[in-house]
Amino acid sequence: MTKMLQIALREFLSTVATKGFIFGMLFTPLMIGIMIAVMPLLFNDKPPKIDGELALVDPTGQVLDGVRSYLEREAIAARRDDFKQQIREQTPPQLDRLGVTAAVAENAVEQALGEVPSIHVVAVDAGADLEPEKALLYQGTIEDGGRLALAVVRPNAVHKAAGDETFGTYELFVREKLDDRIVDEIKDGLRHSILDARVRGAGLDHGWITELTSMERVRSTTVTVTGELETNELLNLLLPAGFMILLLLSVLMGGQYLMTTTIEEKSSRVVEVLLSAVSPMQLMTGKILGQMCVGLLVMLVYAGMGIVGLVTFALFGLLDLWLFAYLIIFYLIAYFVLGSFMAAIGAAVNEPREAQAFMMPIMLVVMIPWLLWMPILRDPNSLFATVASFLPPINTFVMLLRLTSTTPPPFWQVWISIGIGLASVYAALWLAAKVFRVGLLLHGKPPSFSTLIRWVRMA
Amino acid sequence: MAHAIDLRGVTKTFGAKVAVRELDLTVPEGALYGLIGPNGAGKTTTIRMIMSILFPDSGAISVLGQRSALEAKQRIGYLPEERGLYKKMRVGSFLRYMARLKGYSGPGLAARVSEWLARLDLAGVEGMRCEGLSKGMQQKVQIIAALIHGPDLLILDEPFSGLDPVSTRLLRELIQQEHRRGATVIFSTHVMVQAEQLCDHIVMINDGRKVLDESLQGIRGKLDARSLVFEPLAPSADLGLVRTLPGVRQVVQADGAYEISLDEGTDVARAMHQIVGAVPAARVEIKRPTLEDVFVEIVTGPRGASAVEAEELRASLRPDRPARAEAAP
Repeated sequence: MTKMLQIALREFLSTVATKGFIFGMLFTPLMIGIMIAVMPLLFNDKPPKIDGELALVDPTGQVLDGVRSYLEREAIAARRDDFKQQIREQTPPQLDRLGVTAAVAENAVEQALGEVPSIHVVAVDAGADLEPEKALLYQGTIEDGGRLALAVVRPNAVHKAAGDETFGTYELFVREKLDDRIVDEIKDGLRHSILDARVRGAGLDHGWITELTSMERVRSTTVTVTGELETNELLNLLLPAGFMILLLLSVLMGGQYLMTTTIEEKSSRVVEVLLSAVSPMQLMTGKILGQMCVGLLVMLVYAGMGIVGLVTFALFGLLDLWLFAYLIIFYLIAYFVLGSFMAAIGAAVNEPREAQAFMMPIMLVVMIPWLLWMPILRDPNSLFATVASFLPPINTFVMLLRLTSTTPPPFWQVWISIGIGLASVYAALWLAAKVFRVGLLLHGKPPSFSTLIRWVRMA
Repeated sequence: MAHAIDLRGVTKTFGAKVAVRELDLTVPEGALYGLIGPNGAGKTTTIRMIMSILFPDSGAISVLGQRSALEAKQRIGYLPEERGLYKKMRVGSFLRYMARLKGYSGPGLAARVSEWLARLDLAGVEGMRCEGLSKGMQQKVQIIAALIHGPDLLILDEPFSGLDPVSTRLLRELIQQEHRRGATVIFSTHVMVQAEQLCDHIVMINDGRKVLDESLQGIRGKLDARSLVFEPLAPSADLGLVRTLPGVRQVVQADGAYEISLDEGTDVARAMHQIVGAVPAARVEIKRPTLEDVFVEIVTGPRGASAVEAEELRASLRPDRPARAEAAP
C-alpha cells in the first residue's frame, strides 16, 4: 500500500507541478473569460452612420405616411428604448439586483444597433420609369443623402383587386452591401404600414388588435422544500451541461495524463526499473490513484469557479448539494473505467501517435452523451434515458444529466446505476491489468485489437 | 547452504516460441553466478521470471526463501537490460523515490543518496534533471538505483551492455564489492570474457535450455586441452609436415602464430614433441580453453564445429563495440 501511495504521490506531483499543467488549468478559464469579454468587441460590427433616402412608389396612397412616420429618427429611437425596457424587465431578479446584466444587455443592444439612422422617405410617382430611380441606388453614398432603397408597393397591397385570392405585397430594390439591419428596419416599416392600412381599410383599429393579440411574458415559480424561487430556465438548461462538462473534463484530463505518463515510462525504459520494486498491478493502481487526484483537482478548481459564479449571482440556492456528492461518485466511476482503459492503451503502445487508433472508440463513447444531451433533458425519465443511464461506460454521464434535469430520476435508479458502475470498474481494472502487465515490456510493432485480446487471454 | 534462487522445471513460451525450457537453477546465498549465452538464448526471460515481472507457464520459483520475488523485492537489487530514468525528474528525487519503493526510507536516506553519488563521482548532480546528464552519468545513476537499498540479492541483466570502458571497470568493482559485502550476485551476459573475469560459477543457456551449470574452476579442470599455440622459429616455415602428423586435425594461422587442433584422445605431450621435431619452434604451448571454446564445444557437440560455424558462434559471444577496448586485456 505504501508503495502504491508513493507511486500515486509521484504521479500527482509530476503532473500538477509542471508549467504545462498550471498553464492549462488557468488558460482554459482565462480563455473562456477572454471570449466572453472580448468576443463582443471583436464582433462589434455596428452599422455605419446612415443618412440616406428610401424612395417609395405607393399607388395605393395609404402606405407612404405610415412608412414615413415609422422610419422617423425619433420613432426608431423610441422603439429601441422600448426594447431596452423589455430586456430590463426580463432579466432574472437575482441578476437585476446586481444591476449588472441589464446594463450589459442594454450596452450590447446599443453596440449591435449602432447610431440611430436617418432614413428620409421620398415619394415617387406611381407611373414613373423605375430604371432611372434604380440607377440612383449606385450613386452617392449612404452617409450624405444617397439612395438606400427603392420600394414599389403593389396596387393590391391594401385592397384586394377583384378575383384576387390574397393581398399583394411590395418589391424592394436595395443598394449594394446595404447593412441587413437597415434593410430589416425598412422592411418592418413597410410591413407595419401596409398591415395598418389593411386593418384601417377593414374598419378596425390596429392598436386594438395588437392589444387583443399580445400577452405579457409570464414568469414561473419553482416551489422547493426550502421555499419558492423564480424558475430560471437558462439555469435549468445550463446546469446539466455544466455538470457534464465538469465530469467529462476531469475524466478526460486525468485519463489523458495517465496514458501519456505510461507511454513515457515505457518509451524511456524506466518501467522495468520500477517493476524491480513493485508489481505491475501496484504500478498501475498507484498511477491510476495519482491521476485520479489530478482529475479531482481539475474538478474542484472548475467547480469552485462555478460555485463562486453562482454565489455571486445569488443562484446557489437553486443547487442541490447532493448533486456534488453524485458528481464525485460518478467521476470516480467514470474515471476508473475510462482511466483503466487509457492506462492499458498507454502500456500497449510505444508512442502517443500509436495510441490514437485505440483512443478513437473511447472518444466516440464519451461523445454519445453529448449527442443525446437534448433528448435526455427534454424527457429525463424516458425509456431511452433510463436504459442509457444503466449502460456502462456512458451510464455515469447520462445519470448525472438526469440528476441535474428538472425531473430527477427515482432514488433506486441512481443507486442501480452506481452499482452497475462499480461492477464496470472491476471489469475494466481486471482487463486493463492484464493488458498493462503484458504490454509494458513489449516494444516494436504496435498491437492490434486482436493482439490486446490475446494478451488478456495470455496474462 | 540456503538458496538465494531456486528454479524447478521452469518453462516460458511466447506464442509458438519456447523462450525457456524446463530450466532448473539453484544459486546459493553469497555466490557470484554468471548466466551466459548468446542473444536470444533466454537469459532475460529467465531473469524476468526470477523477478516476477514475467510468470512461468510451468515450474516453481523461489527467491530468498519466498515463493515469489514480489514478496522479497525490497531485498533485491535489479538492473534490467533495458533501463531508463524519468527524464524530467531530478537525480536526487529519483534516487530517493527508488529507495522508498524498495522500502528504504527514513532520515538517513538523503545522506545515503549523497554518499552514493559521491562514491560514483557524481557529487553535485543531485539537483540536476536526469535528462541533463551524459549517458555515462545516467548509467551510473541507474546502477545506484539498483544498489542504494543494500540488497541481499543483486540481479543484473547484461549490466555491461552499452557501458564505456570506465563505467565497465567501475561496475565490475562495484559487483565485486557487493559480493564481498555478502550479497548474492547473478548477472547475465553474452560476453564470455566478462563472465570469466568475475564469476565463480557459470550457468550457460542456449535456445532456452541450460547446457552447463558448473564452477569456473570445474569447467577448466574438466576440459580436455586439445589446442596448441605454435610459433615457428622461421616465420616463413612451411607447416605442411605438421598437418600430416598423426592426431593433428587442423592447423589455422592466427595473429602471427598457428593454432593446432588435435583429435580427441590424442596424447598432447607426444603431439607437442612430434610438432617441434617436424618444424623448429620459437614457442609452443597448450592453449587454455576459454568459455567461448566451452560454449562452442557444448553447442556443436562431439561432431565439432566447422570453421565458419565456430566463428559465428564466437561472434555472438563477443562484447559489443563500446566494451571491446575494456575486454581485450
